[in-house]
Amino acid sequence: MKKLGLTIAVSAIAAGMALSAHADGHKHAQGGTLTVPIITPTFVDDFNPYSGAQGDMVGGTMYEPLWAVNAMQGEINWRLASGFSYDDDLMGLTINLKDGLTWSDGETLDADDVVYSLNLGNEDAKLDATGQWSSGKFASVEAIDATTVYIKFAAKDGTIDWHLPRLHVVPQHIFSAVEDISTFSNSNPVGSGPMTEVTQVRDNQIEICRNPNYYKADQGLPYLDCIKFRQYTDNSQIQAALINDEIDWGSNFIADIEKTYVAPNPENHGFWYPANDLINIYLNTREAPFSDINFRKAFSMSLDRPMIVDLAAYGYPTPESHVTGLGEFFKTHFNDEVNAKYDYLAEYNPEAAMALLDEAGYKDIDGDGFLENPDGSAINFDIHVVNGWTDWVQTVQMVSEYLAEVGIKANTKTVDWSVYDSALKEGTYEASINWSKTNAEDPIQAYQDYFHTSRQNNSWHTNHGISSPAVDALIDEYAATSDADRRKAILAELMDFTGENLAFVPLFSNPTWYQYNATRIGGWPTADNAFVQPVFYDSSRKLITFEQLYAK
Amino acid sequence: MSFVLRRFAFYFVAIMVAITFNFIMPRMMPGDPVDALFASAQGRMSLETLAAYKEMLGFVDGPLHEQYFMYLKSIFTWDLGPSIMLYPLPVTELLSVKVPWTVGLAGMSTFISVFIGLLIGTYASYHRGGFVDRFMPGFWAFVGAMPQPVTALFIFFIFALTWKVFPLSYGANPDLDPGYTWEYISSILHHSVLPIFCMVLGGIAAWIFNMRNAMINVLGEDYITMAKAKGLSNGRIMTRYAARNALLPVVTAVSMQIGFIMAGAIFIETVFNYPGVGLLLFKALGARDYPTMQACFLLIVVFVLVANFIADLLYLWLDPRLRK
Repeated sequence: MKKLGLTIAVSAIAAGMALSAHADGHKHAQGGTLTVPIITPTFVDDFNPYSGAQGDMVGGTMYEPLWAVNAMQGEINWRLASGFSYDDDLMGLTINLKDGLTWSDGETLDADDVVYSLNLGNEDAKLDATGQWSSGKFASVEAIDATTVYIKFAAKDGTIDWHLPRLHVVPQHIFSAVEDISTFSNSNPVGSGPMTEVTQVRDNQIEICRNPNYYKADQGLPYLDCIKFRQYTDNSQIQAALINDEIDWGSNFIADIEKTYVAPNPENHGFWYPANDLINIYLNTREAPFSDINFRKAFSMSLDRPMIVDLAAYGYPTPESHVTGLGEFFKTHFNDEVNAKYDYLAEYNPEAAMALLDEAGYKDIDGDGFLENPDGSAINFDIHVVNGWTDWVQTVQMVSEYLAEVGIKANTKTVDWSVYDSALKEGTYEASINWSKTNAEDPIQAYQDYFHTSRQNNSWHTNHGISSPAVDALIDEYAATSDADRRKAILAELMDFTGENLAFVPLFSNPTWYQYNATRIGGWPTADNAFVQPVFYDSSRKLITFEQLYAK
Repeated sequence: MSFVLRRFAFYFVAIMVAITFNFIMPRMMPGDPVDALFASAQGRMSLETLAAYKEMLGFVDGPLHEQYFMYLKSIFTWDLGPSIMLYPLPVTELLSVKVPWTVGLAGMSTFISVFIGLLIGTYASYHRGGFVDRFMPGFWAFVGAMPQPVTALFIFFIFALTWKVFPLSYGANPDLDPGYTWEYISSILHHSVLPIFCMVLGGIAAWIFNMRNAMINVLGEDYITMAKAKGLSNGRIMTRYAARNALLPVVTAVSMQIGFIMAGAIFIETVFNYPGVGLLLFKALGARDYPTMQACFLLIVVFVLVANFIADLLYLWLDPRLRK
């Protein structure tokens, strides 16, 4: 019996050794360089996380976040912190840091650095990366001991943790000596992330390499030795470089990707476009005909969304089949019961749309083929779209054509960004296509952005004329409770409100642009290995992706 | 001497006018630079970041005349402020890196296209009705008439993307250490082949026609007949007697062309991602980066005026009558 146990143990060890590809027991050997494109006129010697000059090179590579949110898995990826907890009354947050953290220069990274980094935002609004000082949510920050940080809130809030991954935890021993942080070039960065050592700074190439004191070095991380950033000026340059195997990771629109990129090397060239944020047509409900809910419903029913996606947007987006405010990105939060009530509004049904319009008093009085308002005035409105955003211009043109089929006269109006921007914020548009905040940390942020009166004139999505004190109160309550069931109930109410009022007509979820080249590098997220939404321009998601990459 | 002084005064006035235009033009464009930054990110930048940006860039409004005097002062002290798209990098620093590439590109391509153009033009006019005269001008006019971005994309597609014989982008291989090594210099040459080729294709026809027309006029002059009567060799008459005199109007044309060559550089540098002033200007326009835009325009104006001044000096050398 004893002997048998020993045999099992030995074979288990042998199996374990066979599984781990490398003698040191890590998943992949270290080494190799990842090449990533950046769109900029030229590279500069600037690694300041606050200046934004080269934030895409700094975030997620040089500075490790406290934690990273992986919405695709619905989980928190702990980084510098090992956990956090809210006070019972939601008036404060305690953050626990991991033990034995160091900066890349060997100095200790502790609670003082985190407190210092948080307080920078209080001293100077330009350095308020989390936005929580400017919005008045933080009252004070203090270090309890070497690995514990306590943030005191100005009001009850259970949503602060969503914003903290955006904090750049910077070394106090370096930054406190800098006179003006906002113009500091930080040429010799000292960081906590996987890649901190700058080995090359040129006009068109920057290379940063392994942090000698990385806290995950005992797990063999990072697998890659260096990241090389290459400078490009537009998508077409990047398309050419991807095709010729000069770069490994693209986040760009590539024309006719199956034919130009995948077909020449199907084994290694791939792409995956998971759903990102929801694209809506916002309707200004203050004026006729949009002031009539029946008109808005007919608008929604007259659109063939899958066809719009195929023809106007090259088939890459995901057509939306609900009207309750969330897209595919947050599909885990969909409420089937509420959706079932309104899903008919997202289906292409021109007969029902025409019947509804007829019933509501819209008739073609002058016989020009287009309907008039019940009061006899002509219907003729513009849908705004920004000049040059070609896929959206085509989308709006198709929407106008579908509307014409049910007798509604709508025009595609291409405008300059500044006109578009102010019309949406000030509520002076008639109809306008725009994105939404449906790809953030939590679905409540979408509804806050759609309806909360504090967002009016600040957001592109709030000034459609529909709001209610009850909805404001619901949104505020969500932030001030930590009860999961209550939050779910609030979301359900908000979804119902959205579907009932239809202040905007959802069209499709934007794709996440992502191309990978497996010629030299492995470990890429794909549709079959969907461990994270592969967004390069987001430090959390970039870090989670990067950590899995290895040289072949 | 008074000729030089008069020209100098003229250039000073010209540059002042250009500077003033340079100030007014970008301010007549709609929108402000921070909003444009926003638009280029398709708005996926948070409102908080936007506000921070505005403050950081000091994009505050003041009366126009105050802005103008600040602007004049900054130009004459060569302190053009920080770039907006590459904040806080000073524009002058940015330009000092970009200028050599464009000067090299424009200089080499102008030299090559003028040299070849003049040769063909001279030869064609001297042997009127011959093969070169009948075929070359027409052929190059056809090539040059194609829009430069189209030619550039076509060449990019064939030589860089499909055949891979020349690189897709950059002024030199970014993996090499810059320095006076043969490896690096040959990389610069290798990277410059396609952009220079495109610029030469676009420019050569003008020189052929300029030279040919000037030559035809000169060839009718009595001193050419005289030279022939003296029994001088054809080559000597063609170069020393006819071409030297025909060069006068061509020199003017070259200096006038500098502005157009810069315009061509914008397209070609963009297609080949060549790290010069043209590409920088193109990007600055898109980002409404006023400081960079103004510096680029200013530089182009200075280029053109300096070229004109050099042309004036060349005149003095070519035409002894002016030296009196």
